[in-house]
Amino acid sequence: MRRKRVFGTLALVLGMTCLLVTGCGEKTKELELFSSKAENADSLQKLVDEFNTLHESEGVKVVLNTPADAGTILKTRLAKNDVPDIMSMGGDVNYTEVQSAGVLADLGQESYMSSIQASYQQMVYDVQKDKEEVAYGVPYATNASGVLYNVDKFEELGLEIPKTWDEFLSVIDTIEAAGEKPFEFTLKDKWTGLCPWNSMAPDLQPDGFTDARLANETTFADTHTEIAEKYLTLLDHAQADFMGTGYDDGNKAFANGEAVMMINGNWAISQFTNANTDFNVDMFAFPASNDPAKNYVTSGVDVLFCVNKDSKNLELAKEFVAFMMEPDHAKQYINEQFAFSAVEGVVQEDAKVDGVKEDIANGKVANFPDHYYPNGFDLAALLSQMSLNHTEGMDRGENIKQFLASCDEKYDISNVQ
Amino acid sequence: MKKKKRGVEPIYYAGVGIMGVLFFLFHTISFLKGVFYSFTDWKGYGDWNFVGLRNYLQIFKDTDTISAYLFTFKFAIICTILVNIISLILACALNSNIRFKNFVKGVYFLPYMLGSVIVGFIFNFIFANLIPAVGQHLGIDALSTNLLGTTSAIWGIIFVTIWSGCAFNTLIYLSGLQSIDTDVYEAAALDGAKGLRKFTRITFPLLAPSFTINMVLAAKGYLMVYDQIMAMTDGGPGISTTSIAVLIYKKGFGGGQFSYQMANAVVLFIVVVAVSVFQLRVLEKREEKIG
Repeated sequence: MRRKRVFGTLALVLGMTCLLVTGCGEKTKELELFSSKAENADSLQKLVDEFNTLHESEGVKVVLNTPADAGTILKTRLAKNDVPDIMSMGGDVNYTEVQSAGVLADLGQESYMSSIQASYQQMVYDVQKDKEEVAYGVPYATNASGVLYNVDKFEELGLEIPKTWDEFLSVIDTIEAAGEKPFEFTLKDKWTGLCPWNSMAPDLQPDGFTDARLANETTFADTHTEIAEKYLTLLDHAQADFMGTGYDDGNKAFANGEAVMMINGNWAISQFTNANTDFNVDMFAFPASNDPAKNYVTSGVDVLFCVNKDSKNLELAKEFVAFMMEPDHAKQYINEQFAFSAVEGVVQEDAKVDGVKEDIANGKVANFPDHYYPNGFDLAALLSQMSLNHTEGMDRGENIKQFLASCDEKYDISNVQ
Repeated sequence: MKKKKRGVEPIYYAGVGIMGVLFFLFHTISFLKGVFYSFTDWKGYGDWNFVGLRNYLQIFKDTDTISAYLFTFKFAIICTILVNIISLILACALNSNIRFKNFVKGVYFLPYMLGSVIVGFIFNFIFANLIPAVGQHLGIDALSTNLLGTTSAIWGIIFVTIWSGCAFNTLIYLSGLQSIDTDVYEAAALDGAKGLRKFTRITFPLLAPSFTINMVLAAKGYLMVYDQIMAMTDGGPGISTTSIAVLIYKKGFGGGQFSYQMANAVVLFIVVVAVSVFQLRVLEKREEKIG
């Protein structure tokens, strides 16, 4: 019995070694597609399979690899100079890390570049080292954050979509007068506290704040009082236990009509429909400012593609990206993933995001401000502390002052390291 | 006689040797590597330089680290004391001739069989859904919100830690109690010792070795508390329940401060060793006195 097992293990090890060796062989051209997002693995795999069938006769095979903790793995592989042929990742710090290592091919001459929405391409440039304007990364799918609202309740109460902060406040008043709860907050999961911040900051912070803050020319304390003030105002209209409600529980409560609005993103919608299939939800841009022109939809690059410039199969890797960018395939992806496309003319038509799709198609979008904060600046924890102080009845002005001061302090600490 | 003494079976050396090599490979080397990187500015990948003691000096200026230490010590002291008191009571009760003794022993040991992350998730649900529902029904304000979302979140974690941690300490006390010679009790009974007096004068002193082990193991374990917190509060609200281990993980891997948090880990190691050695010294002296 035991001997059998030993032989079995040996055979397995041998078999795997053979596989590895043949994998490196010259006969099939195998390309690695490294993806940092676990949620879209199925959708990517479908498209990869389609690409592979098209190129079967040439012996080309793209293999999708979606490891857990992908960001760290990619960085270690970068250190070992073992860069995947094609990479799919978010437009965040991880991308900055890969791009600044100088291992990516310039995709600026590819035919699909002209069909990419400029605002999203700009977001990719913005996170590149020195904001270099070379298309090392191609934005593919995008997300959106704003106010999710219960459409049926809005109709019941005769409410219109607010375009300004004052209109927003009167909407809140009407909801409360009708005995309903305006907001469901889920601050037990700290990251959800970033959503209102990310929606308000682009509308209210001074232009060029992120650069000026990085250069130490301005502070949060000088510029962000209004945002913090409005943040606390929102909390005043949340359900009683907003500090103790988790994301999953809150989504369920919202989907079952316990609150009229929730500040989060398109990624939460699938959870709502899981909890209540008949739930009628839509989304609008957060009206943080009284100037409607400034109220952007918060939308960032959720998936972008980039290609290893030293790949043995560089042309094939580029061809794969071109394949993905074809409108049919981009459309298939966003429909399955409930996302938005960076390709012009590919529009998300689902009614659940009706309220923001026009702004997104017109490029009236602002990136998530926390994409520009330094790695290690844990704003979510600071917001959670401010919210906790608020529930403890701390003086509003004092709370805001303390919060902004610690924002500056922590920002400086993480900016140095 | 002499020959016999020398002739230790080589299998013993092999056993110790293999374990020693494995321990060195998988524990000591990685530990030494960590110590090494604590003197650099390595981010976990890429280039690095030596920075001397900069990381260590930074620890004393970092308010997050200091508040994490305060939390960790508060947590460890409260848990160590409560766990030992409760375990001792449980062990004494389970050692007496109560009915269904073995069944009850099994029940008390059950929490220890569950992983602390599972226990954390279960209590997360209880705190978030069951207790507030009961609290609202009874109209008690303090119970109608999730305890883990308030400034008292630490007590929720302490409760869960004690609930799942008592089993192991109870087991050690039980084995200690069972090793006490019944003759001693008989003699004490003849002299008229009863109840609490019997416990303070006979049982507790004779339990000294178990007490030492339990105190040291509990303090060491609770100073390094990690999984319950990750499962229950993720260090929040704010950073109010962030222990040192949680801080090291979060900032070291997620925040790009790998080498700085390595320095933090080295400091934590020194603190844990110092506390353990201090406890051993004091408690062993006590054992000697009693013995």
